Amino acid sequence: MASVCAWLLGGATLPLMLIGLPILGGLIIWLLKKYYAAQVAAVLVFGLSNVFLCLALYLGGGASVSLPFAGYGFEAKFISGGLSAVLPLFASVVAFLLARYSVTYYRGKKEGGLFLLFFFVSVGFVNGALLSDNLPVMLVFWEGLLISMSALLLIGNLQKPRATIKMLWISGVADLMLMLGVIITIQVAGQSNISAISHLPVSGLGAAGCVLMLLGALGKAGAVPFHSWIPLAAEDAQSPFLALFPAALEKILGIGLAIRIVTQIYDVQPGSPVSTFVMIVGAVTLFIGVAMALIQKDMKRLLSYHAISQVGYMILGVGSALPIGIIGALFHMMNHVLYKSGLFLTAGAIEKRTGTTDLKIVSGLGKLMPVTAACFVVFGLAISGFPGLNGFFSKELIFDAALETNVVYYIVALVGAAMTAISFLKLGGAAFFGKLTLPQGVKHVKEAPVGMALPAIVLALLCVLLGVFNQLAHTFLLQPALGFTESYGGWPESGMLVTLSCVALGVALLDHLYGRKKSGSALQSADHIHYAPGAKQVYALAEAGKLDPYNWLTAVINGFSRVCMQIEKGVSWVYDKGVPGLVRGISSQLHRAANGSLTRYLALAAAGLVCVAIVFLIILL
Amino acid sequence: MQATLLVCIFTPLIGACLLPLIGQRAPRVRNLFSLLFVLASFLCSASLLPAVLSGSKPLIRLALPLGLSLGFQADALSVFMAMTASLVACVILIYSFGYIKDYDNQNEYYFMAVLFLGAMMGLVYSTSLILLYVFWEISAIACWRLIGFYREELTIVRANKAYVVTVFGALIMLVGFLGIWGQTGTFELTAMQGAHVPAWCVVLILFGILSKSATFPLHSWLPDAGVAPSPVTSLLHAAVLVKIGVYAYARLFAVTFTIDPVFTQIVPIIAAVSALISAGCAMVETDIKRIIAYSTISQLAFILLGVSIGNETGLVGGMLYILAHSVAKGGLFLCAGIVEHNLHTKDINQMGGLYKRFPLTAVAFALCSLSVMGVPPFSGYFAKFLVVQGALTANQPWLAGVFILGAFMTVFYLSRVFFKVFLGPETNHHAHEKSRAMVGSVVFLGVLALVLGVFISLPAELASRIWGVL
Repeated sequence: MASVCAWLLGGATLPLMLIGLPILGGLIIWLLKKYYAAQVAAVLVFGLSNVFLCLALYLGGGASVSLPFAGYGFEAKFISGGLSAVLPLFASVVAFLLARYSVTYYRGKKEGGLFLLFFFVSVGFVNGALLSDNLPVMLVFWEGLLISMSALLLIGNLQKPRATIKMLWISGVADLMLMLGVIITIQVAGQSNISAISHLPVSGLGAAGCVLMLLGALGKAGAVPFHSWIPLAAEDAQSPFLALFPAALEKILGIGLAIRIVTQIYDVQPGSPVSTFVMIVGAVTLFIGVAMALIQKDMKRLLSYHAISQVGYMILGVGSALPIGIIGALFHMMNHVLYKSGLFLTAGAIEKRTGTTDLKIVSGLGKLMPVTAACFVVFGLAISGFPGLNGFFSKELIFDAALETNVVYYIVALVGAAMTAISFLKLGGAAFFGKLTLPQGVKHVKEAPVGMALPAIVLALLCVLLGVFNQLAHTFLLQPALGFTESYGGWPESGMLVTLSCVALGVALLDHLYGRKKSGSALQSADHIHYAPGAKQVYALAEAGKLDPYNWLTAVINGFSRVCMQIEKGVSWVYDKGVPGLVRGISSQLHRAANGSLTRYLALAAAGLVCVAIVFLIILL
Repeated sequence: MQATLLVCIFTPLIGACLLPLIGQRAPRVRNLFSLLFVLASFLCSASLLPAVLSGSKPLIRLALPLGLSLGFQADALSVFMAMTASLVACVILIYSFGYIKDYDNQNEYYFMAVLFLGAMMGLVYSTSLILLYVFWEISAIACWRLIGFYREELTIVRANKAYVVTVFGALIMLVGFLGIWGQTGTFELTAMQGAHVPAWCVVLILFGILSKSATFPLHSWLPDAGVAPSPVTSLLHAAVLVKIGVYAYARLFAVTFTIDPVFTQIVPIIAAVSALISAGCAMVETDIKRIIAYSTISQLAFILLGVSIGNETGLVGGMLYILAHSVAKGGLFLCAGIVEHNLHTKDINQMGGLYKRFPLTAVAFALCSLSVMGVPPFSGYFAKFLVVQGALTANQPWLAGVFILGAFMTVFYLSRVFFKVFLGPETNHHAHEKSRAMVGSVVFLGVLALVLGVFISLPAELASRIWGVL
């Protein structure tokens, strides 16, 4: 293995292969769209090749390659090491599992080939974005993902592209903010390679650059106010897309970059204005996400709101700028990718077998789909922060950082944890453990196909392993990624925080039991919160789209555009009516002036000559 | 080398005059020759590339009475512009074979289109202000006839408007040229290298530049000119004509004269206002060609920002923007032409779900839109990045912010058009892509927008030679 790694690293071609090979793989898989077995084989070959190359990069201690490209700060420079060695490896494992799932999910569907093409193109772009040391070239891959994301979201939705346009607008705004932040950062640093930039001062123009870059990074991760396309996508898109992007790749990219901004590019200090700003964004994201998740009746929509709320925890960790918060954010991001992708895979399995994830139509599938149900239980416990599983350990680190910064952040995080548990008790109870309900026309439901069940099982196992052996995760993944010498692994130090977390879970269980008893069903077990005085009105506004920042944005754009059009009409009037009217008026006056008087003509000619002379004198002098 | 330069300019100028004669007997041969004349300009310009990259500047000059002269010179700026214009013009002519074949006055169409391209060649290579003005006006006359191609009352009114506005601007510019002559005693650009131009002359010349490059408030003729056939709107209003103004700015105020630093503040502000107002109009307009025309005004403002900001990064960004925008916006107008030609409407509210009937056009429209939006790896990204970076290099961060707002708007209005026209429920079940020449042209431009992005180092290398001659 070591010799193979050395051979691969000899030409420093590994980073380039990591970009090119998945794209090539995507093309081949697309060409094999009619041959399922060959497609599965190609997915295995290219998916595993990607994992192997990333592993070679990680074990080889990193690589660096630089190619001339365009000049003016553009340099195709790729460096792997630390975060940019660990994140590609992690992303490659998840991408492989999701690709294997997708090929079975799309079996027999004509759009499967295209989906896998853009899937692998996205993987290549993500590798490029993670490995780029040059900021403008990183943007090439980062923003290039807009294309593959749009294509993936459009597949199957060409007649109903509303989610794509919303994603494009919101992500476009976030990406352009990042672009401006990058340009400002280059201006402040005097150069464009991340490896040569270190702890720029967060003041003046630097503060603007830092905030804009963070907004771009967090926007990619799905933070408020860049979040609202995700629930809409959950309604229209297929589960593999949701597992790939909102659950996995966007979090890896967004949180990965945010960590680099806070720990390397800018000198963000705990308690600084930028830190406070980011933590407020995190707290708001966390609360809004989980509050909206609580009232959802569709499995994919519910999960999509949790994809938003969980990123709030990561942002809290990054924003604290404390080592424990940053390592907690990175760990939570990885854990989230595992359990949230897994949750979307279970939703996909239900969707594949019943044609819907609407829990009002389908429920109580536990006995018919026991493997899927078992995986769901693991993922649900992990996301709820059940002690012993991976989500518990990362959340505790973030709780610690939040409490150290300000107790308000901690309270929001703890309440969020309780609400997360409430909504997953509701979701699990309805989807798997309630009374069996099937959609009209569906008589028999089987367990998910092996190709779809296996990736979910592997993800569930990883959730358990990263919990039980979290110390190893710290030693071999998190600490090398961040360059930390101090370990934050093992059982949490603060017994008080663990106790309060357990109390929050206990409260959630009691609330679920109360709600279930009151409403008579698991699906309505959170209705007493939904329809509580005060909450009911706010939820009504939210469900009507009144609180959606996207709708505010479109209202502002439309208002601005109408004003522009009024100005344009005024200018057009000058050209179309004003000037011709003026010319006609003047010519009419001149016509009257032409009365046949020689004296008048001579006077006019003399005046004209004087004017011409004055002009020439001005020019010559 | 000098002969190549002359062939490059005079082949389309003289050849254009022969086209009606050929067309009387053999329309297909006329079409072929029109393409060959423009292709000759492209190939000749391309053949000048090695010499220009090695630092030489081929020059040919004929002395005339009264201290005037007839001179042409190839340098990085002129070769860059000539190659861009002639390449896109070639594609547009191929597209025209399919689009124009059913209409009257085809002889005049090809005559004017090739004459216009010849005027563009003469303009970019000329070394004298007077010659530049002459070619400027020839292009205006060609533009006037081409906009009025359909001979309907409305098209004639709109053609007159375009002519009057641009010629009015050009005449004011001519007074500015006379002012420079009064200052330096010559019209020769090569003899005025580094000369300082008084502010009032700059202001007068700006009238010509801003009217030709359709910058607010002298832009009103451009959206109205959408009544012209689509290849005309593509050639004139996206790819070539509107670039004349920004070329003149670069030629005169970036690489020849020195001007008061205040203009590096004022002109970008004018550009910023133009970028935002036109983007706002594109957002609410429902005529597909008017939307793209407003988009052109908005994107021209980015180019103007680049060439006027006063630093190398901005200028190179501006030049790359000219290339990227010519290809992509040319493609967008041609796509709009395919849709309009088949549906007989320009109202996007009457369109929808056309991806089924126009799949290749939809893909080409998407590719060109992504480039104009500045999404990487399309060429538009690199241009936009460098233009905004140029504003920051000039210590004008607020200006960079305003143009990023303009970039937001670009994403909004172009995606709105694409989604409205090509996606959603199908509204027209009978129309389909007819001409291979037309569809092939738009696909070529869409792919070219992407390829140019991947190989952006090639045009960037040429553009980088433009700066630093002062």
